[in-house]
Amino acid sequence: MTSNIYDNFVASLTQSIHEWLYHVMPPTWALISEMTIIGLVFLLFYALVGLFLVYAERKVCAFMQNRVGPNRVGPYGIFQTIADFIKLLMKELITIKNSDKLLFNIAPFIVIIASFMAIAAIPFAKGLHAIDFDIGILYVIAVSSLGVVGILLAGWSSNNKYSLIGAMRSGAQIISYELSVGMSLLTIIILAGTMQFSEIVQGQEYGWFLFKGHIPAFIAFVVFLIASTAETNRGPFDLAEAESELTAGFHTEYSGIKFAFFFLAEYMNMFIVASIGATVFLGGWMPFMVHGWDGFNTVMNYIPPSIWYILKTGFIIWLMMWFKWTFPRLRIDQLLTLEWKYLLPINLFNILLMAFIVLMGWHF
Amino acid sequence: MFTKYIFFFLSTVALYSAIMVLLSRKPIHSVLYLTLTFFAIAGHYILLNAQFLAVVHVIVYAGAIMVLFLFTVMLLNLNKEEVSPKPVWIKIVAIIAGCLLMIVLIGIFRGYDIAIEKDPALTQIGLVKNLGQVLYKQYLLPFELASILFLTAMVGAVLLGKKEQI
Amino acid sequence: MSTIISLSVLGVLILAEGLLGKKAWHLPTILIGLLVSLALTLSGWNLNLHYYNEMMIVDNSSVAFSSILIFTTFLIFMFAGHYYRGVQRPLDDIYAILIFALVGSVMMTSFGNLIMLFLGIETLSIALYVLAGSHKEAITSNEATLKYFLMGSFLSGFLLFGIALLYGASGSLNMDEISAYTVREAAHLSPMFKAGLFLLIIGLAFKIAIVPFHFWAPDVYEGTPTLLTAFMATVVKVASIVALFRLFSHCFPAIRETWETTLWILAVLTILVGNLTGLYQPNLKRMLAYSSISHSGYMMLAVLAFSARSADALLLYAAAYSVATVTAFGILILVRGAKGNDLFTSFEGLGRKNPVEAVCLTIALLSLTGIPPLAGFMAKYYLFATALEKGYLWLVILAVLGSAISVGYYFKPIISMYLKEGEGIKLEAGFAYKTHIVFLTVLTILLGLLPAFLINLL
Repeated sequence: MTSNIYDNFVASLTQSIHEWLYHVMPPTWALISEMTIIGLVFLLFYALVGLFLVYAERKVCAFMQNRVGPNRVGPYGIFQTIADFIKLLMKELITIKNSDKLLFNIAPFIVIIASFMAIAAIPFAKGLHAIDFDIGILYVIAVSSLGVVGILLAGWSSNNKYSLIGAMRSGAQIISYELSVGMSLLTIIILAGTMQFSEIVQGQEYGWFLFKGHIPAFIAFVVFLIASTAETNRGPFDLAEAESELTAGFHTEYSGIKFAFFFLAEYMNMFIVASIGATVFLGGWMPFMVHGWDGFNTVMNYIPPSIWYILKTGFIIWLMMWFKWTFPRLRIDQLLTLEWKYLLPINLFNILLMAFIVLMGWHF
Repeated sequence: MFTKYIFFFLSTVALYSAIMVLLSRKPIHSVLYLTLTFFAIAGHYILLNAQFLAVVHVIVYAGAIMVLFLFTVMLLNLNKEEVSPKPVWIKIVAIIAGCLLMIVLIGIFRGYDIAIEKDPALTQIGLVKNLGQVLYKQYLLPFELASILFLTAMVGAVLLGKKEQI
Repeated sequence: MSTIISLSVLGVLILAEGLLGKKAWHLPTILIGLLVSLALTLSGWNLNLHYYNEMMIVDNSSVAFSSILIFTTFLIFMFAGHYYRGVQRPLDDIYAILIFALVGSVMMTSFGNLIMLFLGIETLSIALYVLAGSHKEAITSNEATLKYFLMGSFLSGFLLFGIALLYGASGSLNMDEISAYTVREAAHLSPMFKAGLFLLIIGLAFKIAIVPFHFWAPDVYEGTPTLLTAFMATVVKVASIVALFRLFSHCFPAIRETWETTLWILAVLTILVGNLTGLYQPNLKRMLAYSSISHSGYMMLAVLAFSARSADALLLYAAAYSVATVTAFGILILVRGAKGNDLFTSFEGLGRKNPVEAVCLTIALLSLTGIPPLAGFMAKYYLFATALEKGYLWLVILAVLGSAISVGYYFKPIISMYLKEGEGIKLEAGFAYKTHIVFLTVLTILLGLLPAFLINLL
């Protein structure tokens, strides 16, 4: 195993903060303040990534449609989303008369908490993750499936038929495609032999799982891309918020910062599935290395792991944006047919194939 | 020490939301309280170092079953109160019977001296590797036969769901 | 083990045939498959095999009872062709679920671990919830499935909680280890174990439909399609009783005094309430429901008086009860098909128009009553004899009293058939159907005349 020059940096940074905190205060308080620090860091990260992704989406969309995109606020319009955000903050929060007030108000928070919880398990570099469960992947699948509760509540409590239909579509879509996401990840779990994210990344030192597992891994990757795009309610599967039919779907009645929450959560969910895809299929923060090519590997190692991670995640996010702006939207029956009649059987067969290949040792 | 407070917190949440499932007037609130109960129980599993169980609990109950409940409640629009009132004597009998069961169960656990005094956080059985060993070795047969149960349920769901008449 | 595997394969095979659209192959495949698994089951005789960490113990009693269950299912499937004759849609799903239910019941007769017991009961129950509602456009069928499902899933909770408490107290789910625990701790049994035991009794009592957990039974039996009611009244009933018998005779003999009184009261209540309520039923199907309730009361005697001989007696009783009940349901299917209902008035004049069917029904009902020299009499005789050996004098007296009461309702259709004048329409039974019913009747008589076939087996 090659040691990465940046490994020690992260470890020593976190270690020194840890020691300092335990030095200046009693253990309980140190623990609590550590948790607070981690929470704040993630919150900041969350907001930044969200803002950047909105900007990126608009730029990519403009590129696809042969436009310029936002270019007024700041150089190349990079402050456009911040301006939008401030605008949303200052807007009035409209509460509807005949709605279930409590549910209407907590729905955006449920959505945002679900996506926030998922970030905790994602490794950004060696040792740079909030928590390293031994069932990391399962944990992420579990918490990311909770967002749908918020969406359903939002649609229902708005007391508006567009919202309700949007929420129903979204719910049906998420619980269907969740299955495919889980199963395509399971295919790789069979290959990796572990569900812990750190071990999964470590296992991809010389060759990402996409290459190691060749045919079944590639099928799993394609299925994962399709299913995760659908799970995040993004185009061409965005019929939960199909503008031409349902105005804005489940968040039609929301305004101001609550609307922003839904908006942010959607982009963060995209970021999360992209991170998981990058970590599981493309090696996460692990640099691209080839066994035996020591010189090449050393050069690759000079690129910090977090940069690798961001590049890979960015690649998948870019793919998903590409999908959104090039494919036409599906109908609900096409959507469900695709999942239950094609993706799911393919996935099940693929798992068998992968198990067989792992059993025979035919992987790299 | 820390875990003790978490335990009491989770237990309070679980009990409160379980009671609210029964007491809340709107069915949809009941469903949400039920979700909360499941979360509290998942938290208990984590305290017992049974992470796999906790996560599967969240996936299955909070993720899948509760969403199905929400779907049903929302589509049937059950939010109106149209529960037929029960006779008073049935309520009284039900309360007495339930309380008797509760007293018996409380009595059991009060009288029970714990055979193995062990820190649950130290047991490793809840981790996925050990669980897999137990499941695929000791309990292999029930694990496999459960597939017949699920196949039955699946075929049955299709049978009942199809529009065809017999 | 080979039984479970062969039956599961059979179920999947039926589904595969349905996928291919081979409707006509279903029944022949099932009948042959059931005979094959019957042969495979019987091949385990005297081998006494233990599978997978004692999860399944295939001893002689499990072989015998599994064979009875499979054979009863075979007998019921002989009616299926007639019962579903007008149905256009493929029936692979209903048949497959029936077979899977049979797998569950086989698990219940050969479990060696409480997990397997629970799994068997659940497989059986879930299959039955679906089957009860399989007549979708009939409101009674919908009522039956909902009632059964809601109560059944609630009571499954009791069963599971009981198993959990037993595990908590004894530290094992294995029957042998639980038995060892009861022997060790018989003097000072922990309250947790006792509570678990009683929750387990409640859960099982519901599945068997023992009074006072029987209220679902008549409604569910009435709403369920008749062919499947026959399955519920025979296979399910026998499997649950056998599970109870197996559990108590393996696990809890050392702590007899803990549960003896409870089971005694339950048995007496079941016999008396079942028979007395049976008197007031308007139609044959509900009457047979109450008959099945009271018969589970008689079979509880075997659980109470367990010994090597009581297993034998239970075996004979299960066989006699199953054969007679299947015969009665066979006629019931015909009458319902011809008249659209099964009120006792519908049987009027049947004796003259359809002498064969009338005689067969009469013999079946007489056997259920316990009239010598039919199978029911011999079964009751052996059962009561084993109970008397153990000193349950009052229980036997009450059981005999119950049998006497039961004459009151078993004779109702017989009186209607022979003594009442009615227009009496012709029942449309094919030759095969008639032959099968006659075969069942001959079986009832033979079991009565030669009970030695079954009585000295175990």
